[in-house]
Parts: sequence; structure tokens; C-alpha cells
Amino acid sequence: MEPRSSTIGPSLDPNALDSFQFNEEIQQLMTVPQENASSFTALLELPAPQAMELLHHSPESKDSAAPAPAHSNSHTVTVDAHHTPYHFPVGANLTFPSNIALIERAARFSVFAENINNTTTDKNNHNNNNHSPETTESLPSNSSGNLGKVKNEPAESDSNKPNSPPPAENKRSVKRKEREKKVKVTTKKSKSGANESSEDAEKLPYVHVRARRGQATDSHSLAERARREKINARMKLLQELVPGCNKAAGLKRLGDKYSGLALDQIAFGSHFIEIEILMPIKKISGTALVLDEIINHVQSLQRQVEFLSMRLAAVNPRIDVNLDSTLAVESGSLMDSNLSNMVMPLMWPEVQVNASRQQYQQQWHLDAHHQPVWGREEESHNFVTPENSLLSYDSSANSGR
Amino acid sequence: MRSPSSLKQEFLKKWILGLQVCNSLKNMNVFERKKAIKLSADVAMASSRNGKTCWSRALIANASRNDNGKEFVEKILGSDYERQNKNSTMSRRTRCRKILKRSCTTIRKAMKRSTPSRPKVLAFSVAKKMIKKRTQLLKSVVPGGEFMDEVSLIEETLDYIISLRAQIDVMKSFANATEIENRKKDQQW
Repeated sequence: MEPRSSTIGPSLDPNALDSFQFNEEIQQLMTVPQENASSFTALLELPAPQAMELLHHSPESKDSAAPAPAHSNSHTVTVDAHHTPYHFPVGANLTFPSNIALIERAARFSVFAENINNTTTDKNNHNNNNHSPETTESLPSNSSGNLGKVKNEPAESDSNKPNSPPPAENKRSVKRKEREKKVKVTTKKSKSGANESSEDAEKLPYVHVRARRGQATDSHSLAERARREKINARMKLLQELVPGCNKAAGLKRLGDKYSGLALDQIAFGSHFIEIEILMPIKKISGTALVLDEIINHVQSLQRQVEFLSMRLAAVNPRIDVNLDSTLAVESGSLMDSNLSNMVMPLMWPEVQVNASRQQYQQQWHLDAHHQPVWGREEESHNFVTPENSLLSYDSSANSGR
Repeated sequence: MRSPSSLKQEFLKKWILGLQVCNSLKNMNVFERKKAIKLSADVAMASSRNGKTCWSRALIANASRNDNGKEFVEKILGSDYERQNKNSTMSRRTRCRKILKRSCTTIRKAMKRSTPSRPKVLAFSVAKKMIKKRTQLLKSVVPGGEFMDEVSLIEETLDYIISLRAQIDVMKSFANATEIENRKKDQQW
């Protein structure tokens, strides 16, 4: 008890950090539009002490970050000590207050409350099962002085049981761990992503094909059908891309109704041949028209390139690539604002990127537990490797202890 | 796929390198110059796809066949040149072609069995021929299309059209800019 209380002062730092993050979370939650109006009723369905706790505690934990750390230490401990913190007897003689101001406050924090209701109930067990090293360390030293600490709580929770943990704090720690895990997972993914993709590329693409009634089911015609479906999908994309393909596509669509039958039956050599064969002809002629359009389009584009290079050759008798002047004129002219915009960053893209990264890493190394770093980390997950984040996090926690 | 603007950026960056090579070549008439410009633009376009597509690889391979184009290719691609020459992923393609061939033979056998006296089937084969002709034409239009099966041909055509459009955009604005610059120079003199 005694060493612990002496270290509360320095341990303010990570906790203040937490509350800083926590405020952000709350704000995020508040901004998210809630579609179900039953959040308040969800609050009502909670066990009474818990609801009271929510109502009393959430504004305080949001508004005043300074007194929070002292509580949060004690509360995390109590959560660990009592393994089922939320299963209080409902029969506790507590009536829900019909205070208007209280209800208003509840409505204001209803988003928050519901979120807690969802997250804590299922994650609390999880939290108890895998302790992070800091909580397991702090548990033996504090289990004895548990009650004395809890009594430091503000008097507003007098109607509650003295050791009922505020879910807000608990949720905070849970969330923090979750976030850490998330970061780890994402970075792992990004690391192994390259390998996976290469593996996937090497693997044979597994095709799901189902034969309809009357369609052939042997492997060759299945493969053939899969191939044709692939071609059709690509063709549709091309039709959207190439202007003037719609007319041809209309003809093609006529035949699409009857698609997928004729070729298989020819391949199968069955007796359906005469019936189904006419419509695919229309389909095929439609496909031919689409192909015509595509060929025309590609050729016209190629001709355009030829023409443009001819024009460039004529315009500039000696291709004097005086780059600076050309690009300056380009950005000055209102011809193509897109191009002028993209020309400017063209010059120093790598330099800028490298500079910003260096700057970032410098700051990272300088102040391991400086508050704004955490905010920055949230903004740019890309740079945070798991080792880095773990290391810096541990260092801040250790320095707090 | 990347966004079109980044594609344009990449293309412009590489094309400027190519144009510098053009600048170093002296004593050309208009047509030779035009050829050089077009070649440089094509190679730049192909190299901005990073060798991910068949058509770009085929374009670069075609360009590096004659010595004039080789200069562009080496200049624009730089260190990537050797790397791109090495990697080739043809295994999957051959497998596809094998399946295709097998299915074609089965179709042909069935046709032989059933065709002789049926006008409808004849019409069908005529339509098939139409498509085949157009596919051949498309293969000749898209660079490297001779070596593609139908699925990848259509994919590559899609990609090729998109990159051609980007190329045209950049070239157009570049031409406009140089024209404006020339006009300014004329006014100054």
C-alpha cells in the first residue's frame, strides 16, 4: 500500500494520457449518429447500481481528467479482485430516480452508456482472463488496501455499493488494450500481406461453377463455362468503357437470355442442339459488334497519339525541353488544372515523404510518453511497427511505476 | 489499380526523360522526330505500368528491338530494365491455353459430327468465324496481343485503353503548353 501511494504522483502521466484518449473516444461516440432510440431503455435494463454508476460517473470522467487517475488505479484493481463485477443482485433496494436533470444527463450520455453496455459485458471476462503485465503486478500489492482506496470515491455514489466499479474506467483500460492489439494485428497484416498475395497469385484460382438444369457437368465444359463467364464480365466492363457500345450491347443482351446452353450442348453432343442454337448466333453477332466498337476505339486512340506526337514535333522544331519554363507555362495556363496541380508535386515527391517520415521518427524517439504522440499515432498507423509501439508503451508504463 | 492522376504523373516524369533523349538526337526531319516522340511516349507509358501488364512488356520488348528505341528504353526504365526482363509469369497462361485447346478440340469433334446438313449450325459457325476475325484484329491492335488468350486479351485491352487515355491527356496538355510558350516567345521577339 505504502509504495503504491507514493508512486501515484508519477503514474499520473499514463493515466492522463488515457483520459486524453478517452475524451477523444467519447467525442467520436457522440458524433456517431445513433439510430436506435432505445439506448436509454437499454440503460434502464441494466442492474440498478450499474445504471446509477453510469449516470453519476460518466460526466465526471469526461469533464475532469485530473482526479480520474487516482480512481482508475483503484478501480482496475477492484475489477481484478472481484471477478464478476457486474453481476450484482438486482434486488438491491434502489429505485431509479425520476430526476429531470438526471434523465437529461442520461440522454446526453446514452450513446456512451449503451456502448458500455455492449462492450463491457462481453469484454470484461476477456479482460480478466488475460491480464496485461501491469495489472497482474499491481494486483497483489493492492488487494489488501482495496477498501481504503475505494472510499476515496466522491460522495455522489453513496447509494451504490462501495466497491462497484465504474464501467467507464474499466472500459477505458479494455479499449486501450484493444487498440494495442488492433495496431499489432494491422501491422502484422501489412507485413505478411506481401507474402500472402504472392502465395495467392501462385495458387490456382479455384472456380465455383454450378451447372444449371440441362447443362453439362463434366470438368471440361465446367471450366469452359467459367472461362466464358469471365470473358463476359470483362466484356461488360469494356462496354462501359468504350463509348458507343450500348447499341451493340443491346443486341447482345437479347442473346444473353439464352446464353450458356448451346456451346455446352454441342460439346456434350446431346440432342438439344437444334432447339437452342439460334439465339446464341444473335448473341455472337452482338459480341462481334462490341468487338468492332472496341477495336475502333483503340485504333482511334492510337491515331490520336500519333497526331499529338506529330503536333508536338511540328510545334517545337527543336525539342527544346526547357523543363522549367515549359512547366511554369503549363501551371500558369488554365488549360489543364489537373496537370498543373500534379506537375508541382511531381518535382519533390520523395523528398517530402522522406522528410516527413524523418521528422516523425525524431519526435517519436524524443518524447516517448509525450501526450500528443499518441494522437499522432492514431492518425498514422502506418509508421507504427508492433515492436515500436510496444516498446514505447512499456517504457511509458514503467516510468510511471 | 492506381488513380489516373498518379498514372499521369508517372507517365509525365518518364516521358520527360524520353524527351531529353530526343533532344540529344540531332539532324532529324519532322517525321523522324515525330516517330521519336511517339516512341518515347509509348515507352514511357508502358514503363509507368511497371511491367505488370502484358501489353506494356510487349511494347517495351518491341521498342528495344531497334537501336533507336533501345536508347529510350534504357534511359526511361533505368535500373528497372534488367529486372523487368527477368520476371516472367507464363505458367498460368499456358495452363489456360491448354484448357482452351482441349475444349476447342471437343467442340470441333462435335461440330464434325453434327454439322453437315444443318443450315443453322452453318450460321453458327459463320458467326464464330466473325468473332474469330475480330479477335485476331484486336490482337494485332493491342501490343503483344498475339500471345494472349481471350480472357487476358480483354483485360489487357481494358488496361491499354485506360493508359492510352491518360497518355493522350498528358500529351495534349503538354502540346498546348508548348504552343503557348512558343507564342509568347514570338511576341517577345
